[in-house]
Amino acid sequence: MSLFFQSVVLGVLLGGLYALLAAGLTLYFGVMRVVMIAHSAFLILSAYLAWWFTTETGLDPLLSLVVTVPLFFVAGVLMQRLLISRLRPATLTMMSVLLTFSVALVIEGMLGFVFSGTQRRIRLPYSGDSLELFGANIAVVKLIAFGLAAVSLGALFLILKKTQFGQALRATIQHPDAARLIGINTDRIAGYGFGLGLATAAIGGTALALDSTIYPSLHWHWIGPLMAIIVVGGLGSIPGAAIAAMLLGLGQSLLQIPLGTTWAQTIFYLALFATLMVRPQGFFGGRLAQRF
Amino acid sequence: MKVTMHHRLGVLALASCLTLTGCMSSGSSSSGDDGDGPITIGISLPLTGDFSEPGKGVQRGYEAWADYVNENGGLLGRDVELKILDDQSNADRVASDYEKLINQDGVDLVFGPFSTRLVVPAAQVAKDYGFLFVEPAGAAEEVFTQGFDNLFYAAPAVADDHYNYLADAIEALPEADRPKTAAYAAMDDPFAMGTAYGLKTRLEEMGVETVVDEVYPPNTTDFGSIAAKIADSKADVVVGGTQYQDAVNMIVALRQLNYQPKMAAFSTAPTNPEFPEAIGKETEGILSPTGYTPEADYPTNAEFVEYYTEKNGTPPAEDEANAWTTGQVVAAAVEAVGCADPDPECQQQLIDWLRENEVDTVVGPLSWDAEGRPEGAHLIQQYVDGKIRIVLPEDAAEADLILEKPHW
Repeated sequence: MSLFFQSVVLGVLLGGLYALLAAGLTLYFGVMRVVMIAHSAFLILSAYLAWWFTTETGLDPLLSLVVTVPLFFVAGVLMQRLLISRLRPATLTMMSVLLTFSVALVIEGMLGFVFSGTQRRIRLPYSGDSLELFGANIAVVKLIAFGLAAVSLGALFLILKKTQFGQALRATIQHPDAARLIGINTDRIAGYGFGLGLATAAIGGTALALDSTIYPSLHWHWIGPLMAIIVVGGLGSIPGAAIAAMLLGLGQSLLQIPLGTTWAQTIFYLALFATLMVRPQGFFGGRLAQRF
Repeated sequence: MKVTMHHRLGVLALASCLTLTGCMSSGSSSSGDDGDGPITIGISLPLTGDFSEPGKGVQRGYEAWADYVNENGGLLGRDVELKILDDQSNADRVASDYEKLINQDGVDLVFGPFSTRLVVPAAQVAKDYGFLFVEPAGAAEEVFTQGFDNLFYAAPAVADDHYNYLADAIEALPEADRPKTAAYAAMDDPFAMGTAYGLKTRLEEMGVETVVDEVYPPNTTDFGSIAAKIADSKADVVVGGTQYQDAVNMIVALRQLNYQPKMAAFSTAPTNPEFPEAIGKETEGILSPTGYTPEADYPTNAEFVEYYTEKNGTPPAEDEANAWTTGQVVAAAVEAVGCADPDPECQQQLIDWLRENEVDTVVGPLSWDAEGRPEGAHLIQQYVDGKIRIVLPEDAAEADLILEKPHW
């Protein structure tokens, strides 16, 4: 029983992290129909920046967010304006795979060149600390990562729902032509939307760096599960991605008890196949996603 | 325009010079098997491709060994000369390299390449020509089950035997003090699993109950659930068949669940200099097997470390040591038998001698079973007072084994 409860706790924490890491990915697709293979490479880049910040200054890695979030936002806007927007609209989705794949390779190569292939981990005084809740241990670092996920997803939700920029972005997601007709500068909005997605990668990468060992090629292990999450959740739907992330994270954690690690990982791909066969628009998004 | 023409002529002249000298040098080396010239040793190594890092390490070890031998009177009074080809980490290439070395270049002896995947095809070629084949890397079981009667692995132990000294030490305890339960988690990789399951077999024979037995794929990023299973079992011993990042992530995940084993052993990772940086001061008491350490006081090791460090500026690591060991093993056979030529009779004598005898090397005394498995075990290291030290076997120990691991 205690193992079951502990696994539920771990699964929820893991699901929260997955939700944060997947949020940006679904946003790019929603805004621009771009498949952003480099999203996980940016996660690892931000994780490296957090590690580097901590080794150089000795300060807590969370403080690196003050620099990385604006930096990634600007990088996202520039990447959209200078690279993605030059792809032909007719083949955008397919060509964006190639383009962002190459960006991922460039980031991986740069990380290897600058920081070497040595595997790094941020040494935190509280890395092994945990709180006890009804017999289950909740690791402090995982709780911080979960908190970061909750706060960022909440903020993202508020931005999209309550601000004028958010309305414009949602209008661009739903119907770009109509949005242009009512005077929205969809190009600029798409750039900001892309920047917003990359800003979540800065937060996600820092959350990831708190509790894992990082190396330049690590992003290949992440992109598969994250893609599966956003398809299951419905491409373009942030709440859908969050729900799918939570369910799959919890499912993975619980399936490990009877099946072991190797088979538990397949839940992502089984869910992906099932979604594509039964409900290609995704379980939680679909038409609803159009209205956010 | 005229300048270009000159350049072209120059390049042509240079190219033909190179071709000529190339032919000449290969002509002279093939006549080197008559007994008086240098002893040529043919080697193919992965100097580019997947295994280029360890491949270069092995190359440094071989070259240091050859220089050392030549500075100290040579082998049978003759100089040794290495002929090293690059197989690009490619299994087809490595076979044709050894064909060429034996057939065209007429080398007197061959040394093995790096890693199981290349050792197997290379050993097959050597076997076809009746050559002795001593190799510095290739510890997986499949190397020893192909029926090679000419192969010898120049390292202390195959993966399954890495923990033998630790198992012996546990067996020597009074029954009441032995651990009762053990948890195993291993990466799905022949080497990593071999180390953990080697210890598992020994502990199960002693009656230590296996309470967790997990295998995880190399791309595993989250170790929370594996750690939850181990923590829930409250096993006395935790054994990790690990490489690097998996061990670090697993240890942190176990600490987060407040699991305190009496004994914790992980392969590979703890001997990595990054390890204490990542884990911090909670490394105390963690055990790990190691095939080589510059501090080991086997005869000839101090000399090797000093010579190698002077030549390369850094102390040798395991790959370099295993290459040097390969040289020592072949040299011992050559000196004992008194021949070094490609003649099958001479090669067979070398093989027969190694089958029967023990050789003192920088990784300890080595002897082999009929399939070429070394019959030793790895040294066991442990973090004692914040530094990794040899604790087993007792005659090589730098510090006492901590049996009750402090809390991490």
